[in-house]
Amino acid sequence: MPEIKLKLKKQPDFPLEADVISPDNLAGKSTAEIKNLELYVANEKTTIGEFFSVSGKSGDAKELKIIIDGNLSKVKRIGEKMTDGEIIINGNVGMHVGNQMSGGKILVNGNADDWAGAMLKGGELEITGDAGNYVGAAYRGFWKGMGNGVIRVKGKVGHEALTWADGSVVAKRFPTLYCGSAGSFLGMHGHGATIVVEGDVDRCAGADQVKGTIVIKGKVSRLLPSYKKIGEVKEIDLFNGEKITGKFIEYSGDHSVKKNHNVIDKKTNKVKISVNGRLYIAA
Amino acid sequence: MVEKKINTVYDVVCPFCGTLCDDLEVDVNIKENLVVEVRNACQIGTKKFFSSNPSPHRYEKPLIKDNGTFKEVSWDEAIDIAADILAKSKRPLLYGFASTECEAQSKGVELAETLGGILDNTASVCHGPTLLAEQDVGVPTSTLGEYKNRADLIIFWGSNPVHAHPRHLGRYSQFVRGYFRKDGRNDRFIIVVDPRNTHTAQIADLHIQVNPNEDYELMNGIRAMLRGVELDAKMISGIPIEKIKELIKILKECKYGVIFFGMGLTQSLAHHRNIDTAICLTRELNDYTKFLITPMRGHYNITGANTVFTWNTGYGYSIDFSRGYPRYNPGEFSSVDLLMRDEIDASLIVASDPASNFPAASVKNLFKHPLISVEPHHTPTSENADIILPAAFAGIECEGTAYRMDHVPIRLRKVKDAPGECLTDREILEKLILKVKEKLGE
Ligand code: SF4
Repeated sequence: MPEIKLKLKKQPDFPLEADVISPDNLAGKSTAEIKNLELYVANEKTTIGEFFSVSGKSGDAKELKIIIDGNLSKVKRIGEKMTDGEIIINGNVGMHVGNQMSGGKILVNGNADDWAGAMLKGGELEITGDAGNYVGAAYRGFWKGMGNGVIRVKGKVGHEALTWADGSVVAKRFPTLYCGSAGSFLGMHGHGATIVVEGDVDRCAGADQVKGTIVIKGKVSRLLPSYKKIGEVKEIDLFNGEKITGKFIEYSGDHSVKKNHNVIDKKTNKVKISVNGRLYIAA
Repeated sequence: MVEKKINTVYDVVCPFCGTLCDDLEVDVNIKENLVVEVRNACQIGTKKFFSSNPSPHRYEKPLIKDNGTFKEVSWDEAIDIAADILAKSKRPLLYGFASTECEAQSKGVELAETLGGILDNTASVCHGPTLLAEQDVGVPTSTLGEYKNRADLIIFWGSNPVHAHPRHLGRYSQFVRGYFRKDGRNDRFIIVVDPRNTHTAQIADLHIQVNPNEDYELMNGIRAMLRGVELDAKMISGIPIEKIKELIKILKECKYGVIFFGMGLTQSLAHHRNIDTAICLTRELNDYTKFLITPMRGHYNITGANTVFTWNTGYGYSIDFSRGYPRYNPGEFSSVDLLMRDEIDASLIVASDPASNFPAASVKNLFKHPLISVEPHHTPTSENADIILPAAFAGIECEGTAYRMDHVPIRLRKVKDAPGECLTDREILEKLILKVKEKLGE
């Protein structure tokens, strides 16, 4: 299997923008060619060779595995828009890792900074440590955020993870996040996200959620008033076919969203279950 | 004939707060070039005019720090050294621009682009969250004249105009008589939502004393109840459900309502999400009546800074030119965040005083690198600068355009000349651009 090894030689003075590091861009290139690929630091151009030692042999993007070693917390945008292959990062990584990727896999053995997996369109991003704010979120002003794919974060994710998620059961697109714990405004403006949190979540989970499923196995610091209790459940079906068992209290919402209101039955004043978003919190 | 000593300038625009009052009268002693009297302005506006008079607090010549003390230099020398710092820096930060006029602001954009630097304005620490929310969910808004003539329900949410925008109440929102609101204050119902019993709350008809940092939940609850959802909670953010029901009745039954929100919403926890839901609430209230929303912008031309930056680059603030084209991402390219992570190597601060407003840790990093200050008078920022370029007061000592908080552009007037060797912000930036281009070989 083709494999390229990159090792950070020195810390950049300013954040290093490495959007060129992805299996798509490194495929079929010799190490000399790879060393010449452009990176950006502050307002200057530089090259991969300037900051990384490069070894290994490249091949097809599909099979290519890129292994990056070092403290990459000042290196941004690794794996941007990648479509295939694999990246393994051994160390902390900077902002925007794997943003807008549509296929392949990224494994971060460490922590990731803000915007990890922002607007993911497919593929898999795994982070063994913590992640910053805006994990899998929509960039500023975008109404369609993460469309598909899976993000797994062992530790904590920051605020506003998976905002404006854009899933569709019909089109079989299931933007999914598994994480250890989460900050505030988890899954805000969600349209069909699946979020499973092992631990606790800060305030306002599922704010303005139109549809989607949020499962919280710990506590929520402050539940939104616009969520209504439905009852207790022992099993939860996720959009992607998975099942979660345990004792949960089921809430529907967010009832402050206009689109959700339209499916409240006027006579019974009850919500029609089929369309609304769901929030499950461990009982 | 007696020689005229005092000249009165009419219809002067006040370059202090976002209300941009345009009915001031200023008496100027022409011989000595002094402001002697200001009529119609509020206290803070009046003070600004007087502060333009020569005093030990004003800079009148370019200064350069030499071994810890400032020494006077010529403009040519100052510009040359400043341009040298900027041209050599790899990640310069250009910040400020809220208290100057639009032409100078557009020169700031040009300089930032030439340098491949970072361009930011004070929205970064005040109403930036408003811009973020507007990008996410849009905004139903109008001009202040409309509110004056039509609004019969005014909500001040997290804003305190009695102190921050004193004449707003008299000119547009509370006491003023309008075409359809002939009886002024009596024709309007005023609601203040604020955790504190502010002076604005004391003259309101209804004060909703929400718990600090819980505005989001309150608006979220109102939005759900508005459409008839019975909530599980008995109390939201410290307000009993019964009281919220009364409030909703008032909201639905008004003829024309408006929410004026301030930094109590944008800079309390939840920041842009507070505005996000406030805008959604406003939009949804339009199912029942007419409702609009307007931010209470602080600095007189911060709206202009956002507008000018947007028409030049596509983005209102936190813009990075390092890759040759503008990119935007508050949190990544916003001044405080950049400084906290110590990611700049020089700064140019125009008409602003970040040292008084930014967190201490970020100010420390700001002072670590060469700092150029374009500033009319002594501030904590300028005192710690390496180069001070003395500027004229826009709107007092030079003309220009400014945008009122409701995006109405108003032409500023000149009432007197600037003292000493002061140049306008625009002239200073033009000189810098020329010199920087020369040094970069463009
Ligand atoms: S309200 Fe604002 S614009 Fe009007 S006079 Fe006072 S400070 Fe100046």
